[in-house]
Amino acid sequence: MSEPGGGWVGVSLPLKEDARLVAGRGRFVDDLGRARLLHAAMLRSPHAHARVVRLDASEAAAMPGVLAVLTGAEVAARSGPIRPLIPTTAAVPDHCLAVDRVRYVGEPVAAVAAVDRATAEDALERIHVEYAPLSAVVDPEAAMRPGAPLLYPELGTNVVWHDTLTYGDVDGALARADGVLRERFAIQRYASTPLETFGAIAEYDAGTDAFEFWTNDQRPGLTISILAASLGVPQSRVRLHCPDIGGAFGNKRRPAYLLVCALLARAAGRPVKWIEDRIENLTALMHACNGIMDVELAYRADGTLLALDVRDVADEGKNLLTPTQHNLIKLGNIANGYRIPAVRYEAWSVLTNKCPSGANRGIGKPFMCFAIERAMTRLARRLGLDPAELRLRNYVTADQMPYTTPTGAEYDSGDYPATLRLALERFDYAGWRAEQARARAEGRLLGIGIATSVEPAGTNLASYELVTGRRAASGSAEAAMVRVEPDGQVRVSLGDPSSGQGYETVVAQIVADELGVTPEAVSVARGFDSATTPWLYLSGNYSNKFSVTDVGAVVGAAARVRAKLLRIAAHRLEIDVADLELRDGAAVVRGAPDRRLAIAELARTAYADVLGLPPGEDPGLESHHIHQNPLARPVDASRRIRPQLVFANAAHCCLVEIDPRTGGITLRKYVVVHDCGRELNPLIVEGMVHGSTVHGIGAALLEEFRYDETGQLLTSTFMDYLKPTAADVPTIEIDRLEHPSPVTPLGAKGVGEGGAIPGPAAVANAVEDALAHLGVVVRSLPITPEQVWRWLSAAKPAGSTEP
Amino acid sequence: MILTPAERLRVRLTVNGEPVERELEARRSLADLLREDLGLTGTHVGCEHGVCGACTVLVDGRSARSCLLLAVQMEGASVTTIEGLTPADGLSPLQEAFRACHAMQCGFCTPGMIVASTELLAATPEPDEAVIREALAGNLCMCTGYVNIVRAVARAAARPADPGSPA
Repeated sequence: MSEPGGGWVGVSLPLKEDARLVAGRGRFVDDLGRARLLHAAMLRSPHAHARVVRLDASEAAAMPGVLAVLTGAEVAARSGPIRPLIPTTAAVPDHCLAVDRVRYVGEPVAAVAAVDRATAEDALERIHVEYAPLSAVVDPEAAMRPGAPLLYPELGTNVVWHDTLTYGDVDGALARADGVLRERFAIQRYASTPLETFGAIAEYDAGTDAFEFWTNDQRPGLTISILAASLGVPQSRVRLHCPDIGGAFGNKRRPAYLLVCALLARAAGRPVKWIEDRIENLTALMHACNGIMDVELAYRADGTLLALDVRDVADEGKNLLTPTQHNLIKLGNIANGYRIPAVRYEAWSVLTNKCPSGANRGIGKPFMCFAIERAMTRLARRLGLDPAELRLRNYVTADQMPYTTPTGAEYDSGDYPATLRLALERFDYAGWRAEQARARAEGRLLGIGIATSVEPAGTNLASYELVTGRRAASGSAEAAMVRVEPDGQVRVSLGDPSSGQGYETVVAQIVADELGVTPEAVSVARGFDSATTPWLYLSGNYSNKFSVTDVGAVVGAAARVRAKLLRIAAHRLEIDVADLELRDGAAVVRGAPDRRLAIAELARTAYADVLGLPPGEDPGLESHHIHQNPLARPVDASRRIRPQLVFANAAHCCLVEIDPRTGGITLRKYVVVHDCGRELNPLIVEGMVHGSTVHGIGAALLEEFRYDETGQLLTSTFMDYLKPTAADVPTIEIDRLEHPSPVTPLGAKGVGEGGAIPGPAAVANAVEDALAHLGVVVRSLPITPEQVWRWLSAAKPAGSTEP
Repeated sequence: MILTPAERLRVRLTVNGEPVERELEARRSLADLLREDLGLTGTHVGCEHGVCGACTVLVDGRSARSCLLLAVQMEGASVTTIEGLTPADGLSPLQEAFRACHAMQCGFCTPGMIVASTELLAATPEPDEAVIREALAGNLCMCTGYVNIVRAVARAAARPADPGSPA
């Protein structure tokens, strides 16, 4: 393969990893074995809230084939509590198994390691637990009321955080406005449910008192520190590997399960594997927060926005790892792409007797966008404006970039009006509006939905100072290593283990450009290994952060290796460094392409003929680099925060048709125009946009973790927790703008979450657009055929069977 | 006497053309036989209740959920997995089409998708988009939104497979 004119970055290069994945040659955690491996199973609470009165595991422990049994009491004696993933106010001890109280259905209370999984599961049936059920609190607003059952009586409340943040003169704007739109919106619990469930192997080496893990945990940097602290060993004696990860989407971080495996492995003296089953995954791993949002939007008669006033209740379930995360990320994204001069945000983060909520593709932003984009669409209808026109009147414009929002976010680049205009054009907005009117005359229900969003990327834990009053962690950074091996081939490793983002290919493209080689000459390590991968506390695959930190780490490490190659070549050729370039696998003299030294030859010098190095030059060709994104800031004196850093944007335009008899909803057309800055590999970018948009569609129409009033999860299998299939969704049509980011090394921005953020709002706007003439207002998700049928029924004259 | 789940039974079957004979617990799934006893880890297990399709294999040429079948039910059957659909050298035309279209991200659903697509194309060599979508509706992909998977199957259908290739 020869180098394309403009370099490898930007080329839709087919993926290296796809060659193995398409043949079933991936290596996922359940594909891995160890000698004398045991298999674990966990006993889980059938109650949403109960005291554990008695737990007797002696019968299970005596079973043939059972090598170790672990109870909550033993866990409390043998390990420390789990450190939260983020700074938090909820300072209560949380162990990897419930100790004396269970707080959600599916919370693990005991674990068994046995010679095979069937034996381990058999043993669970011989563990006898006596529970004293307690009243469960399931609804977050009920959980906030005085007298509600408390998950942690020692906290005295279920409210982990309540605060009001005000930016600008909100009350004045509300008083001066020509009108104020007031709406209440709700979002359900849902999750991206990676097809590979969570899992881990843990091994304990008694000789060195060291633990080794193989896991699909997507945030290894933080996890290692939590494991070491709970296990009481230094981090230098915890080694963690990530193999191929079968999707993650934020869900795959639960140090508790790794601790269970580690404690079982230490007790049994043999390695232990645990692979979550799907019911455990849906019941107990991670749900996006459900929530309720009251929105007030103050406006002038011409549609100009004056202020936004939001009250937001985030239902955390039993989330002690990352409470307030949804709130803060919503606050960072609250203005969407609009110029809103004054913003107030009153937030509650509330514990309930439900599955711990946590990171899920977009974290809070899908709900924030749903609320704002629903409100904008409601306002357009109220003012008699086209919903596109109202948005165009209020966008931050390209000439206002970089733009700082009232809450402290900096929008780095982009052209939001142009993005929407292109989407309308690609969708044939005018044509479909005309078709909609014709269809309506025939009794058919077509609806067009528009939603647009900003898509932030990167993380900055300094924002939690707003919640806790102190800074425990901060910044946005990632680490990479680039090494030219003694044979001239290139090896790269990165602290961020891919879970489907194609790093083995796109990182090779980046390094190929830096070093003047082909991507084939660059091998990017699969996954993560803390003993060989450079990493830091922030390392991991999360927060849409590849473009914000990882690319900079790779470019930085490659640039140092490049400089050294050029210095060695200059010395050997007795020429000035400035007269050399790296291309076609060699250091070449500019204007004299015959004078060259192959990288393999330079590598031989660096490793084997070290007397041939320039004076003072260290042997070897390896560099580590940690890139910190410059936009990360502490909370400022005005309480402005920057929980995320670099902003892509997108416009979604979709068409639904509703069956007027059954309420069935068909998505007939879906157009996305997005702008993620410079696209490093458009093949990967398009895939991300397709996939995340379908996550949004699933949340809009199908997916819901539905609990009854006692806290039992009613949708705990894929037969009742419905995911979009190929037959449910249309082809997502994509077009793009490219406004490079000025604050990332190659101008790229995040693209992993963009579809999931406006997707639910776009579909909801379309459904309401089809039914608005019947007085329907969409205030919650998912919009099921049953819900639509009820709306249609309510709109019909009594006794009529026709709409 | 009544059969118990842990009772061991003998089963003989063919896997990817090779004869296999094993004595297994009656409760052992075909997926566990393939993955754990035979080391054929290309077949993935995503839900263990027959919905996600990651574990799809061909049983006598028809797609089946290996998580829902007991291994001892397979007496006399011919089972084909992703390993059996992959040429010794390189990739099949269908696999090449998946790679060219980037019809995967994490790759966990991919073997099941290839198996289901193989069955589709054997019966319907020139499927249109609606037929492809319907045929793959029993296989969940959480990453791609299906767009590139549908494209890949259409691409493979448009280019007839080499009669000598496994797919």
